[in-house]
Amino acid sequence: MSGSGPLWGPATEGAPDPRSTPPAFDPAAAPLAAVHAARWYGNVVAVNDVTFAVGPGVTGLLGPNGAGKSTLLHMLSGLLAPSSGAVLIEGRPIREHPDVYRRLALAPERDAAYGFLTGREFAVLSARLARLPDPDAAARRVLAMVDMEDAADRPIGGYSKGMRQRIKLGAALVHDPRILLLDEPFNGMDPRQRLHMMTLLDGMAREGRVILFSSHILEEVERLAQRVLVMLAGRLAAAGDYRAIRRLMTDRPHTFSLRTSDDRAIAARLVHEEVVLGVQVGDGELDVRAADYGTFTRLVARVAAEAGVSLYELRPTDETLESVFSYLVNR
Amino acid sequence: MPLIATENLTKRYPGAVALDGVTLELEGGIVGLVGANGAGKSTLIKILLGLVPATAGRAIVLGLDSATRGTELRQRVGYMPEHDCLPPDVSGTEFVAHMARISGLPADAARERAAETLRLVGLYEERYRPIGAYSTGMQQRVKLAQALVHDPSLLLLDEPTSGLDPAGREEMLTLVRRVGTDFGIAIVMASHLLGEVERVCDHLVAIDSGHLVASAPLARFTALTRLLTVEVEDGADLLARRLTDAGQVVRQEGRSVLVDLDGPAPYDLVRDAVVELGLPLVRIEQRRHQLEDLFRGDSPLVGEEARP
Repeated sequence: MSGSGPLWGPATEGAPDPRSTPPAFDPAAAPLAAVHAARWYGNVVAVNDVTFAVGPGVTGLLGPNGAGKSTLLHMLSGLLAPSSGAVLIEGRPIREHPDVYRRLALAPERDAAYGFLTGREFAVLSARLARLPDPDAAARRVLAMVDMEDAADRPIGGYSKGMRQRIKLGAALVHDPRILLLDEPFNGMDPRQRLHMMTLLDGMAREGRVILFSSHILEEVERLAQRVLVMLAGRLAAAGDYRAIRRLMTDRPHTFSLRTSDDRAIAARLVHEEVVLGVQVGDGELDVRAADYGTFTRLVARVAAEAGVSLYELRPTDETLESVFSYLVNR
Repeated sequence: MPLIATENLTKRYPGAVALDGVTLELEGGIVGLVGANGAGKSTLIKILLGLVPATAGRAIVLGLDSATRGTELRQRVGYMPEHDCLPPDVSGTEFVAHMARISGLPADAARERAAETLRLVGLYEERYRPIGAYSTGMQQRVKLAQALVHDPSLLLLDEPTSGLDPAGREEMLTLVRRVGTDFGIAIVMASHLLGEVERVCDHLVAIDSGHLVASAPLARFTALTRLLTVEVEDGADLLARRLTDAGQVVRQEGRSVLVDLDGPAPYDLVRDAVVELGLPLVRIEQRRHQLEDLFRGDSPLVGEEARP
C-alpha cells in the first residue's frame, strides 16, 4: 500500500471528524508518511490535516503559490514540528529520532549555501556535518553526480542559478540518503540542465529511492513522476497516479481527437456505442466524447477495424496532468 | 526593414566571451530566445536595449543602431527584466505612471496610460496598494505593465513566467500572446521552458556559448518524424512483439511502441494487432521533433542556420 497511497485526501465536507478516521494505509510501513499533520502560524493555517504515504519512486508535489507545499516539505524533513498530527519516516516520528536524518535530505527552495565557499568546500562541509568517514571522497562523488566538477573550485557566489541548484542538490545527496525532499529543484535551470536533472532523478528513483519534489512546471512533473500530491489551500486535494485521479472525475467526459481514412463511416458506428456521449465531425478531424476511458480505449480500434477504416491518429485531449490539475484547482 | 538585425555581434568580458559573432535577422511576431545559462541571452538583450556596448559588430533595432541611438530606441522598446526590480513602497499605479513619465509622456497621459495598461494586465483594485505586498503573479504583471505603458513597438521579456504557479503561468502566457497578436507588438521572449516557447512563439532563436545555434520558424523545429507512436494502457511488450513478428521495425518506450513509418502499411497492422490482443489503445500519433532535441544535439536544424 505504501506505493500507491490513498487516491483522495481526507474529505472536506460531510465527513464526521477527519482526525478520528484512521488512514487508509499503514503509515508504519511507508518510507515517508504524514498522519493528520497540520501546521499553523498564529491564525494562519499553512497545512491543514493532511494524511498520505509516499513510496519509492518519484512523487510530484503540486499546488498554487501559498498552498502549503514548502511548509509540508519542511515538516517532512523534520525541520518544522507539526502543530498537530505526525510525520513518520520509516514508521518512526522524525521529531524524536534525529538519527533518521541519516536516511533523509532536503534541498530547500532558497539558497542555503555560503557564497564565499567553493562548491567543493560546501560539499565537504555537508559531508563533515553528516560525519562521513571520508568527506573528500563523498564530495567528489556528488560533484560528479550533479555534473559540477568543472566549477567545483570556484566560489558559489559566482554561480548561475542553475549551478546553485545543482550544488544544493549535491550537498543534499552527500550522505547517500534514501529519502529526498526537493523544493522546486528545477528553478532557474536551462533546458540542458533540466534534462540532466531529470535523468539524474529518474536514475535515483530506479535505485529505489523515495523522491518527493515540488514544481510548478506540470509538463515536467508529468514526465518524471509516477504519482502526485496536490495541495490546495493547506489541504491535500488529491494523491496518487494522476491518470487514476483523472478516471475518478466521472463528471468530466474523456475527449479524443481522431484522424481516419473515413471520419463519417467511423462516426456513424461510434454514435451507436453506449460509452460514446457525442461525436463531432470537423474539418479532417473527429472529436469524440466518451463517458468511460477504459471502455472507449478498448473499443475504438475494434470499431475502426469493423468499419474497415484506417486509424491515422488518436489523441486523448483532456488527460494531461495540466487538465487534471486545473480541474482540481477550479473545482 | 527587419525588426532586429545583428551583424557579427560580439561581446567579450574579461576572461569570457558572451557573444561570439552573432549574425541574425528577425522580422517580428513573437520570437522565443532559448539557450543555456550563460549562453549570452541576457547580454544580447542588454545590447539590443543599447545598455551595453558590443565589443565588435553591431545591432540595429527598429532601424536604429543600438550603440549610438540608445535613448531614441528605448522610447520605442519595452523591457521586462527577470530579476526583482520593483520598489516595494510605492503602489502599482504610481510606479507604472512614473515609468510612463520617464518615457516622455505628460503627467495626465501617463496617469491614463498607466490605468489602461494595468487593467490590460489584470491588476484592478490591488493597484493602489504598495507593490511590496503583491504576490509574485501580481509583481510579474506590474513588470509587464511598465514595459507596455509607453506603447512600444517591441517588447523584450526575460523569463516572464519566473516564479509563477500553473494558473499564473497560463494567464501570463495568454497575455503575452494577446499583446503579440491583438496589439501587434513584436516580442522577444527569453525562456528556459521550451513548452512555453512552443505554445506562445512563432519563431525561435537558440544560442549556445555565445554562438547562434539556430534561427527559424518554430514549426521547423517540430517537424514530423518517420516514427509512429502507439500508446497502450498496458501490454506494450505484447504489441511490440506482435508488430515485430509482422515484420515491422519497432522500439518500446514505457507504455508506447514506436513504429518505423515507411508508408501507410503500419496503420492497419497496428489497429489489427491492438484488436487481436484486446489492448486499451490510448494514442496513435506520428511523432514530432521536439524543441528539446536542440539541447540533445539531434535537432534537424542544428548547424543548418548557424552559418549564413
